[in-house]
Amino acid sequence: MLRLEDVTVRFGGLTALKDVSFAMGAGEILGLVGPNGAGKTTLFNTISGLVRPKTGRILFAEREISRLPLHARARLGLGRTFQIPQPMHHLTVRENLTVAQVFGAGKADTARVDEILEVMELGQHAERNAATELALQELKRLEIAKALATDPKLLLLDEVLAGLESKAKRRFVDKLRELHERYKLAIVIVEHDIETISTLCSRAVVLNFGQMIADGTPAEVFRNPAVVESYTGAADA
Amino acid sequence: MRSLPALLILAVAIAVPIAFGGNSYVMGLMVSALIVAGVALAWALLGNLGGMVSFGHAAFFGVGAYTSAILSAKFGLPVPLALLAGACGAALCSVAMLPALRLSGPYFALAILAYAHIFKILATEATSITGGSAGFQRFPPLPTIMGLDLSSRIGSYCLLVVLVALCAAIYLAVKRSHVGTALRAMAESEDATRVVGVNATLLKAWMLLLSAFITGLFGAMNAHIINFLEPDYAFSASWSILPIIAAIFGGYRTILGPVAGAALIYLFDQIIAKELLPVGHEILLGVLLAGMILIAPNGLFGMFQRKTTKGAAHAAA
Repeated sequence: MLRLEDVTVRFGGLTALKDVSFAMGAGEILGLVGPNGAGKTTLFNTISGLVRPKTGRILFAEREISRLPLHARARLGLGRTFQIPQPMHHLTVRENLTVAQVFGAGKADTARVDEILEVMELGQHAERNAATELALQELKRLEIAKALATDPKLLLLDEVLAGLESKAKRRFVDKLRELHERYKLAIVIVEHDIETISTLCSRAVVLNFGQMIADGTPAEVFRNPAVVESYTGAADA
Repeated sequence: MRSLPALLILAVAIAVPIAFGGNSYVMGLMVSALIVAGVALAWALLGNLGGMVSFGHAAFFGVGAYTSAILSAKFGLPVPLALLAGACGAALCSVAMLPALRLSGPYFALAILAYAHIFKILATEATSITGGSAGFQRFPPLPTIMGLDLSSRIGSYCLLVVLVALCAAIYLAVKRSHVGTALRAMAESEDATRVVGVNATLLKAWMLLLSAFITGLFGAMNAHIINFLEPDYAFSASWSILPIIAAIFGGYRTILGPVAGAALIYLFDQIIAKELLPVGHEILLGVLLAGMILIAPNGLFGMFQRKTTKGAAHAAA
């Protein structure tokens, strides 16, 4: 489904990602973890097309997408959310989904939009202004709903659980499982909470200072001394 | 209630030839006001839907005028087809401006201004085709269709009313389409729209092409109405500035605002301002525009819309 081969990203003299390589299959849920500044969001930006890699290749559904613009990747089935929700301004919640569906999936299917609104518990907010009349949790759900409206094969979720208290977080994790089952999605999720990664993901990739330092099951990577050191600053902590 | 302004404008448009049909001076003013209205509509379409401020619509106006005049005079193209070719010529000239879409805000506005100047120089220097600064004349006037002489004041007026209404309808259709919805979102959240598959650059390019097409059409119409062209007139900065003043005065985020703004501003300038200040009467336009921006930044129709929305909210409460 998704394969990264030696992806390097530089911003001037700063190397944000260095030779990152991994692959994931259809229907897999992969956790992307690492301390702040490790390069997780840069990696999402590179996969989705906001940032171009200096070297390396990105393949999605057996097609090289390294040089494709953002909108073209979305149309191939690459959906993403932003860490800080970015609703489309001046539009209602329903219009946000309609635009995403028409341009991302190339169809206008009102029933499908209604279904996504229902699944993401946004039905009662459908006619509200997305940018000004939604609370943070609703905005986070809208981020996912917009991505779902594009009929994605792969969903990149950037810290969608951040800021939620534990009960709300558990509910959100259940919702992500439901989406995974219902829409047969592959998911990459950036998340700091080890428990969430351990319960939701079958695999985790760890970044530190732009380099991949571990790849395996959550249990394996969180026991990995290099991973422990990256979080605590000491291997025996 | 929402269609009241449209009905009002339609009533005025019908009443003018009935009341002033025999007055060549008034009808001439109305024809010129409608030309400005067409360009103001095109400018507002680019600004409102494309999120781009242009200071160079004179380029599209001039290219439309020269293309239509040259094709009809030198190649014998029937005037209706030449008008269409003029509009297409202006759209084609906007293709040269597509690289400027990478710029935003004042940089885009300045780039378009520079492009406009290039086209003016081309028209001045290409003397064998355009007649250069000596001017170009002896091209056919608007034809007579179904007994209506379109080259007469009243004929030109009727044709322009239809064209302005048609362009407003196209603008409305685009605004209400999915493309219009995406464009509305793009202005303040471009990444959010691109990430769901919207090709922002392509949509902006379409808006630039459409805006240039409409401006070129009115440039071509104007050429066949006045039957004389020279670069300083066809590419005059007035064709960029007057529509901007008209659109902002009327409310550039509305569809009828630029049309009403053009009629009011042009008639104010020609009838009142020129009477008060025969030299430098444009100063009064500036004062009028500044006053409108201070009192109602969304323009005349923006203010009207806000009041009707508030009224509807009160009525619903």
